[in-house]
Amino acid sequence: MSPLKLVALACVVSASAASLAAYSDPLPPDLTYRPLPTQPLSSVRANDEAQKPKVMKRQQNLLNKRYDLADKPIPDARMSGGQKKVQDGVRVRLPDGVTWDTLASMSPTEIRDKNLLPEGFRPLPHVKQATGGQVFPQKAIDEIGKQENRDLKRFDVDFDLPDHLTPEFPPPIFLTTHPELGDVSRGELLTIKNFYEYMNGIITPVQMEGLRLLLTPFPQEEFNQTEDRKVAQQSMGVACLDCHANFHTNGAFHLTPDVRPQAARFRLDSTSLRGMFNQQIHGSKRSLRSIEDFTEFEQRTAYFNGDHVSATRKGVNLPDRPNQVAMMAQMQNIIDFPPAPKLDPMGKLDPAKASEQELAGERVFMGKGRCGECHLPQTSFLDNNMHDLKLERFYNIGYTANDQVAIADGPIKTFTLRGIKDSPPYLHDGRLLTLADTVEYFNLVLGVKLTKEEKDSLVAYMLTL
Amino acid sequence: MRNFLTIILMTITTAPAAAQIGNPAGFAPDTRMQEPGVPADHQTNNQDRLFAQLAAAGGLAEVDLAKLAATKAADARVKEFAQALVDDHSDANSRLKALADAAKIPLPDTLDADHKAVRQKLDAAEGQAFDVAYIRSQIIAHQKTAQLLAWEIGSGEDAQLQRYSAATLPAVMKHLRMAQDIASALTGQASREIVAAKHN
Repeated sequence: MSPLKLVALACVVSASAASLAAYSDPLPPDLTYRPLPTQPLSSVRANDEAQKPKVMKRQQNLLNKRYDLADKPIPDARMSGGQKKVQDGVRVRLPDGVTWDTLASMSPTEIRDKNLLPEGFRPLPHVKQATGGQVFPQKAIDEIGKQENRDLKRFDVDFDLPDHLTPEFPPPIFLTTHPELGDVSRGELLTIKNFYEYMNGIITPVQMEGLRLLLTPFPQEEFNQTEDRKVAQQSMGVACLDCHANFHTNGAFHLTPDVRPQAARFRLDSTSLRGMFNQQIHGSKRSLRSIEDFTEFEQRTAYFNGDHVSATRKGVNLPDRPNQVAMMAQMQNIIDFPPAPKLDPMGKLDPAKASEQELAGERVFMGKGRCGECHLPQTSFLDNNMHDLKLERFYNIGYTANDQVAIADGPIKTFTLRGIKDSPPYLHDGRLLTLADTVEYFNLVLGVKLTKEEKDSLVAYMLTL
Repeated sequence: MRNFLTIILMTITTAPAAAQIGNPAGFAPDTRMQEPGVPADHQTNNQDRLFAQLAAAGGLAEVDLAKLAATKAADARVKEFAQALVDDHSDANSRLKALADAAKIPLPDTLDADHKAVRQKLDAAEGQAFDVAYIRSQIIAHQKTAQLLAWEIGSGEDAQLQRYSAATLPAVMKHLRMAQDIASALTGQASREIVAAKHN
């Protein structure tokens, strides 16, 4: 090789070394990807079971510190199935020395500097953040166990909220194709065992096939046949409607698939599928643009935490887009909101049917309270957008609560308010337990300084939706 | 800031054992248990050991670069920021070393390759160019440190190292915000809040 060529080669080599330096970032290899278990299942299970009482006690302590969890229903206010009362009052506890009014009179910076944002307004941790995953309420575990002999009970954690603060179970089902029938659930939970019998003659063949797929269990991160699971026996997996019970929600929770590292992932409260036909964006963070996209991709996200590598190992089900996904979407798109007899066809209260307080609530909703700027009545109380409430104006991020690192929420999808009394707890992570809590939260975040009467009227109004 | 560190150290030493509960699927196979489900003090998994080494390397570099910036920076805000890092990290680094020593984790005592490259770049820069390069390097460093601390909180086994991470993370987030504000003031780059005036 000539001297010139050697110099040229040396230049290339040194240039490569310089550029390589930029690609040798020494961060851990499992920051993004799910690490494999380092121990056999028997050992993991023994340790998980030993930890469980401490894990549950720690979470109960956190909940009790943040909220009043008592069973205090609103007289005469029931969820749409008539089985469960709607809970009353503000449950988020105030820090010492302030009232809701004095807090609302302070600037966000002052609240942040004095650390006065109520803890119940902050991100709510998963019961076991380091592990995460789907956690089902006991009623759902019992009913699916009874009907299908399929075990959804985890050996490491239990559900953490009291039953009276969760949606009624099983919830009613209303179809856009048969409004005259009303609730078609027969008061039962739809499962792979009973769906055909209950829906035969009411829905079309493609809807029926979609429903079958939505009720068919497939392997999931915590419920599968490998040693990386959190259920005692090898599991058949979970079905879409295990969380979205009767196309509504049973309050089952999870961690968002959209954030890493694990400690910074926010809790996800299962959302209702009612009114899917009018939703243009899907997923609190992902903003997927069709229910078909979302249905297809949930096998990567709700099922496997947004880690397709882990999914491949445990047996992922990838529904066929033109056939299976389309049918699953068609079934979801005929699920209606519960009846709201006081609303006119454009989503406004009918003055002949609504009370004075409810009408006052609607005026606050559309005016001073600014609720209607995103929750537009005419479009099912949606605006099909994501918004950043910038809650971190009110508190210092980066602290850790029950192993969850609180970071800023960022933009989150607007959720519908139709049938909202049926779906506690509220916000994407379920951090607010009652409608009255949501009023106090938005009163502070939007700085609208509502009076006691205005707040009460907003709750009365939301009960009519 | 000294007071803040005192609070950090008190938090680490007084928090109950239940304050950190890891995922047993990630425990090291040779873990000695204090009781079923609870590793004995200073029992570490692979993540703890890697965390201690990477955090120590980062801490070492941040002090080294901050000492350089405290004298070389042209802008008073940059100098002030650098001095705050020297103060904060010197204490945090020694606390990390004590925990690592107790867990028998060897820590680096010289700059790693990445940080050497940053140091060379800063040695060659002067004036405002130095200030901007330094602050940008610190934004990246604090972004990475925040990820690293959150990773240890979620993946570690040694509860004391996890508590150290949880206690340190708010300060790292605060430094990140300070660095972003200074960068915004120096270059006009967008910031999430209008707070730059605070650091004048």
